[in-house]
Amino acid sequence: MILSNTEEIPGRNIREFYGVVTGSTVRAKHIGRDFMASLKNLVGGELKGYTELLQEARQEALDRMSEQARSVGANAVVNVRFSTSSVAQGAAELFAYGTAVRVD
Amino acid sequence: MVETAINLGIPLLLLIGTYLIGSAVERSHYREIRIRESRSRRFPTVNLRTPPKSWNIVGAEMVTGNVVISIDYFKRFLAGLRMLVGGRVTSYESLLDRGRREAILRLKEAAFERGYNAVINVRLETSRLASSNRKGEGTAGVEILAFGTAVKFAK
Amino acid sequence: MEYRPRIPREGINVTERHPLSELVILIAGIAAVVAALVVAAFAFIEVAIRWVPPSFESRLFGRLWSADAGSEQEDPRLEAATAVLGRLASHWEGNPYELQLAIMEEQTPNAFAVPGGMIYLTRGLLESVESENELAFILGHELGHFRNRDHLRALGRGLIVSLTLSALIGGSAAESVPRVATTLTQNGFAREQEREADTFGIALVQAEYGHVAGTDGFFRRLPDATAGIGDEFASYLATHPVSEARIEALRSLARENGWSVTGELTTLPRLTSGHSRGS
Repeated sequence: MILSNTEEIPGRNIREFYGVVTGSTVRAKHIGRDFMASLKNLVGGELKGYTELLQEARQEALDRMSEQARSVGANAVVNVRFSTSSVAQGAAELFAYGTAVRVD
Repeated sequence: MVETAINLGIPLLLLIGTYLIGSAVERSHYREIRIRESRSRRFPTVNLRTPPKSWNIVGAEMVTGNVVISIDYFKRFLAGLRMLVGGRVTSYESLLDRGRREAILRLKEAAFERGYNAVINVRLETSRLASSNRKGEGTAGVEILAFGTAVKFAK
Repeated sequence: MEYRPRIPREGINVTERHPLSELVILIAGIAAVVAALVVAAFAFIEVAIRWVPPSFESRLFGRLWSADAGSEQEDPRLEAATAVLGRLASHWEGNPYELQLAIMEEQTPNAFAVPGGMIYLTRGLLESVESENELAFILGHELGHFRNRDHLRALGRGLIVSLTLSALIGGSAAESVPRVATTLTQNGFAREQEREADTFGIALVQAEYGHVAGTDGFFRRLPDATAGIGDEFASYLATHPVSEARIEALRSLARENGWSVTGELTTLPRLTSGHSRGS
């Protein structure tokens, strides 16, 4: 599955398009990470635990979007966009969407 | 012992009750969504910015579709427990999925009613509505907005 | 490029996990972890208690309560109670405490042992005891708590548990689960403490009066009094039917030791109707 956040895949032509496909996941941090984060809030610096968590979650959202694209018969998703929103105190939704297309 | 039973029993009953009612509501909403999706599937909805050259576009207008879905007691309780241990909050996944599909359907239907033929440059925004009775910490509902440019083809 | 109308497969963005099974698993998991934490904290307290000598405890806490006791001993029933306390304590070998007694202005019959050697009796209790023997058992029971350092335990446990819980959880919607798990675990321990205090108390009564008649009047009137510094939940989840088990335990103890359950009951002087200074 080719993913791109451009309008077209450079060097390929889009033959068919199928519509918007989405992939989302809702993740919560757990108490341990929260505790380390509050310690880091005192001294500053990268919150490695959260970086990993969000990276993992974003990858899962992308994977789900690719799966939706595959299920409509696409082999590429163009114009991929990300969106993160908090749905509860302590949980965030990672959301990726794009247009599923078939390139030659 | 009676007090224990009452103290545990009432929340438990509430949980089971809201689970049953909530999942029934969800199932009927999904059924309705599937029907509308299959009916409107010939209406292209894409997030491409430039429409295909074969479309001879004579008119364009921005359209939106939005929905606010509330969170039920059972989902909130389950999510609260999940937030102690971390991981995927499955009770909210179906909520957001429904909301998103509903918003996109409303976008399509709004464009269709105004006589347009497709929607391009679709964007989605999700936001949380805080509940007022828990100092803004609780979640009353989730709003999903879908907006894009509806285009009309020349006949 | 051409548009082909297609709908993605159902259920990709939703995990196929049944909510009820997830609920059960989460509740069980969290309750187990909380119970384990509580047990660990309690074990820590046990060790810590051994390092707090009663003399230190009296010095630290005794000063807090001394304002209450001994100031208005005009009430003849309170005076008699103090005398009984003194006589009972004399049977406790190695009693390290300077014991004091005071009245708490409340109508519910109850008795509290607080750190430092102070025992509070509610006015309701003083009014409702029918004989000196009954009062002696109640006082002996509290002396049992002192001997086992139960009051310190309750203090330490209450502190540690509420600290850890609020640090970890702090007001989320599902905090009821850890809370209930904590209290149920705590109650398990509390019942054992009560049983041991009962055993010590009745042994003191036997030593002082030569028989244990009248001591079960206590159970007919007292709600399950945990060691005084309980939290709000103690009143909710305290179990009343335990009284039956306690009466039975005491009867069998008396039978084993050949203590007589009949005998002459000593009456107490009447309570004056005025107020006595208490908290």
